[in-house]
Amino acid sequence: MSDKKKNANGTAEKKGFFATLGSWIKRMFFGGSKELSESEKFSVENIDSPSKMAVKAFFRRKLAVLALIVLVGLFLFVFIGPIFIKMDVNYTDANLANLPPNYTMLDVPSELEGNIKSISGFADFTVGVSNDNTLYIWGSTFDALSKVEYSAFPEEIKEGNVLYAAAGLDHIIAITTEGKIVGWGKNYQCQFGYKANEADPYIQMPEEFITGTIDPSKVSQLVCGYQCTALVYDGKLYVWGNPSGMLNMKDLVEYSNPAEGKEAPKPVKQVAISNYYAIALLEDGSVITGGQTFTFNRQSGYSNMAEGNKVANLQAHLREKKVINIGATKNCFAILCDDGELLIQGANQFGEYDVPALVNEKFVSVVGGTNHFVGVTDQGKAYAWGHNDGKQAEVYGEKASVVYAGAKQTYLVDENGELLDSTGFKGYLMGTDKSGRDVFKRIIYGGRMTMTVGAVAVIVSTVIAIIVGCLSGYFGGWVDMLLMRITEIFSAIPFLPFAMMLSYIIQKNPIGETARIVIIMIILGLLSWTGLARMIRAQILAEREKEFVLAAKAMGVKEKIIAFKHILPNVISVVLVSVTLDFATCMLTESSLSYLGFGVQQPDPTWGNMLNGANNSIVIQNYWWQWVFPAIFLSIATISINIIGDTLRDVLDPKSSQEK
Amino acid sequence: MVKYILKRIMYIVLVFFLLSFLIFMIYGMVPVDKAAEAARNEITANKNLDYNERYEYWSAKYGTDGNKLEQYGRWLGVYKFSDGSRHGLLTGDLGTSRESGRPVSEEIVEPMKNTMLLNIISTIIALAITIPLGIFCAVKRGSKRDVGVQVGTIIGYSLPTFIIAIVFIWLFSVILGWFPVSGMQTPGYLDWSPARQFWDKMYHLSLPLIVMTFTSLGGMTRYVRAAMIEALSMDYVRTARAKGLREKVVIYSHAWRNALLPVVTLIIGWFLGIFGGSVMIENIFSLNGMGQLYYNALQQNDNDIILSVQMFYIAISLFGNLFIDLIYGVVDPRVRVNR
Repeated sequence: MSDKKKNANGTAEKKGFFATLGSWIKRMFFGGSKELSESEKFSVENIDSPSKMAVKAFFRRKLAVLALIVLVGLFLFVFIGPIFIKMDVNYTDANLANLPPNYTMLDVPSELEGNIKSISGFADFTVGVSNDNTLYIWGSTFDALSKVEYSAFPEEIKEGNVLYAAAGLDHIIAITTEGKIVGWGKNYQCQFGYKANEADPYIQMPEEFITGTIDPSKVSQLVCGYQCTALVYDGKLYVWGNPSGMLNMKDLVEYSNPAEGKEAPKPVKQVAISNYYAIALLEDGSVITGGQTFTFNRQSGYSNMAEGNKVANLQAHLREKKVINIGATKNCFAILCDDGELLIQGANQFGEYDVPALVNEKFVSVVGGTNHFVGVTDQGKAYAWGHNDGKQAEVYGEKASVVYAGAKQTYLVDENGELLDSTGFKGYLMGTDKSGRDVFKRIIYGGRMTMTVGAVAVIVSTVIAIIVGCLSGYFGGWVDMLLMRITEIFSAIPFLPFAMMLSYIIQKNPIGETARIVIIMIILGLLSWTGLARMIRAQILAEREKEFVLAAKAMGVKEKIIAFKHILPNVISVVLVSVTLDFATCMLTESSLSYLGFGVQQPDPTWGNMLNGANNSIVIQNYWWQWVFPAIFLSIATISINIIGDTLRDVLDPKSSQEK
Repeated sequence: MVKYILKRIMYIVLVFFLLSFLIFMIYGMVPVDKAAEAARNEITANKNLDYNERYEYWSAKYGTDGNKLEQYGRWLGVYKFSDGSRHGLLTGDLGTSRESGRPVSEEIVEPMKNTMLLNIISTIIALAITIPLGIFCAVKRGSKRDVGVQVGTIIGYSLPTFIIAIVFIWLFSVILGWFPVSGMQTPGYLDWSPARQFWDKMYHLSLPLIVMTFTSLGGMTRYVRAAMIEALSMDYVRTARAKGLREKVVIYSHAWRNALLPVVTLIIGWFLGIFGGSVMIENIFSLNGMGQLYYNALQQNDNDIILSVQMFYIAISLFGNLFIDLIYGVVDPRVRVNR
């Protein structure tokens, strides 16, 4: 029977505890809950409770209100933002690394929109040639480190004299009406012009192209890739540039210029360059890589998505087919056969294999962006698939006769060169970091992480502090002695080094990333409760000597109820102020740890680890957006929290409000 | 008084051992086996050796044989190694650095000097700025200038050190080019005269010092101001004013003397704090200090250094707290420490 009673009592008390907690907070902000009857209202003088006065005083302070608004805004930004803006934490793109803030990647110049002849884009900028032979460039055209401005055309390029133009990672090649091949941008890896050093592994642009002119009417295709270029001229394939951007470059050169005794090369029709390889389509409908077979070590798994099954041997499969078009993304090649079969070769990282199933239609051409393909059917409709992080693959059955793909853009053009639609990635609001990740998205997700870690750490530390402080202050004696010695021991531990050591130990042990972050939160909480515990203890020591406690004791109220119901509410203002200020401190500590590399690890972003690596002059000077934006967000958050905490302390302190 | 100090020291020694035990045990969770590593290195150098035999030799040498408690005793220097010798923390043997192979006690001399130099100078500069500023703000409480300083200090202590450091590097090193971005000395400094070496070092330390001073301004100014406001609201200040004393006398000899007590606590506490906090500054500016030593040791699993520096930080913190208690009695004769 006694057990049952105890149990019932226990649950009742538990409910009671939360109810009391609620009522404190309610009393804190809205005053006593006692409703006055109509007659009483007139008889009682209208008195605000101290906490109501404090709230009013708080809202009288403009700075504090501003800080509160900013903080709430930041909260909404980092906690609601991720619902709308999705981020793949592990996504990186070296081609788009270190880009400055830019939002013009899809801004086709209005002069070009009506008469497009060709559009070419590989990474951060796109070039277009109009039907009246004028060159246009848009996108992120400035390289922050080398200060190269791609939109500064060399003097050979004039209005109305450009026939072909192609954009690579960091260079542009154009062919003028006079037959001159002009390159600009960076050329330290022999993207154009002469080879600086014989020992360099780069392959130089053919001498006759540098000094002489060509017959522009014989040019069938010009493509640029990762610091390399391919030109199909008079049925012959020319490639030059950095061989690490086209690993089979030497083979292709050998194919075009065979040693004596070997068979002459067949005429080339088209070429496509991925991030690592180039393939060429011959006039007879076969595809060559320059070497003997498709020995692509980075790209494995041949697939025939049109039929939904895999092709065991692509080479053998293609022998019976006639290829009419080829395209390339960063990691894949698309090979289009004359019967409409579309083969995708490469790594299926972002859904490149998900070729749309067509009914009564077949593809007649295909182009690739960085991670997406766009195809045009014989019905004049365009379909896109693959990576869709910038809506570049949101094309399904739209009318188009020619399509062009930028890095993350899709341009649909009709037969007269009129731009029908353009869709895709507009650019990076706050630039990209050294791995090509969007700084803006990382700020949202990093803010969520930083604030979560800070909040959990504060909750842990406050709970410990309240328990220790209350027990120690109320009971005194040996409990106080013991707890205060423990507090002293904890406060003797130097914070940052110890946290670093604990984090290092966690790193050494095989623990999952989420578990690691949780442990870091708890460590921060465990190391930062001592100050508040002491404050609560001192406050309780002062409170328990007061008359109302004596009165409660005299009335025979239980010790536990006195401690938690009569004394603790008086401590809550101390706790509230401390929680606010500690929240800022914990955020700073987390950022400091992450900055040093001992907190949350990449690729999970926090505002602290986004600044990791910003302490060298190259980043500070050239890539200002990589440190300015996280720093601003972190600073604004901590400043507003501190202003709020400070104001709270002022308004909750009866002494200071009396003086006013 | 002497009895009190002895009591405190006894207590500190107890806490020190408790913490050393705690840290040794926590640190024991790192899955790094020095003996196995040494044995493996030997085996790769000389194929004829027997791994187990070498492993036993090295664990006996490093004292990693036996249970954790025995290892702890050996590390402290109170428990015998397998060969009967006894050396450890208490006998002044802090172990050997895994990276350089030098004794840790040698390894930490230079970094400790640098850290001390850096911390002492920055404390002095910070005090020279914050005390007058704090007093000024307290006296002119509520004025526009006070409010301005208050907002400034909130911003100052809300910003993390590394952001201030990055902004200062950008401003002073990159844009203005006044100071070097990082490092302790210009390359080739060894050929120079001692005086020139010293000034070269100071030149390299200027920017870290500026950043350290700047980061401490916010918190300390606020603290001095709060202590001073408290003191100025006391009755004795009113009495002093009523007596017709000059305002200067009232502020500096009546109020300030009383505000000094909490300020002294703060200064020492803060001075201790920057030892731990200097990890950040030393890392950003790649200065050869204790913090950077600790950071590198963590990066390179240099166990003996990690434990030694950790114990150094704890010792500093414990004795600093004792120092605070003692200085109370000196600054404020009302406080009897032996109570």
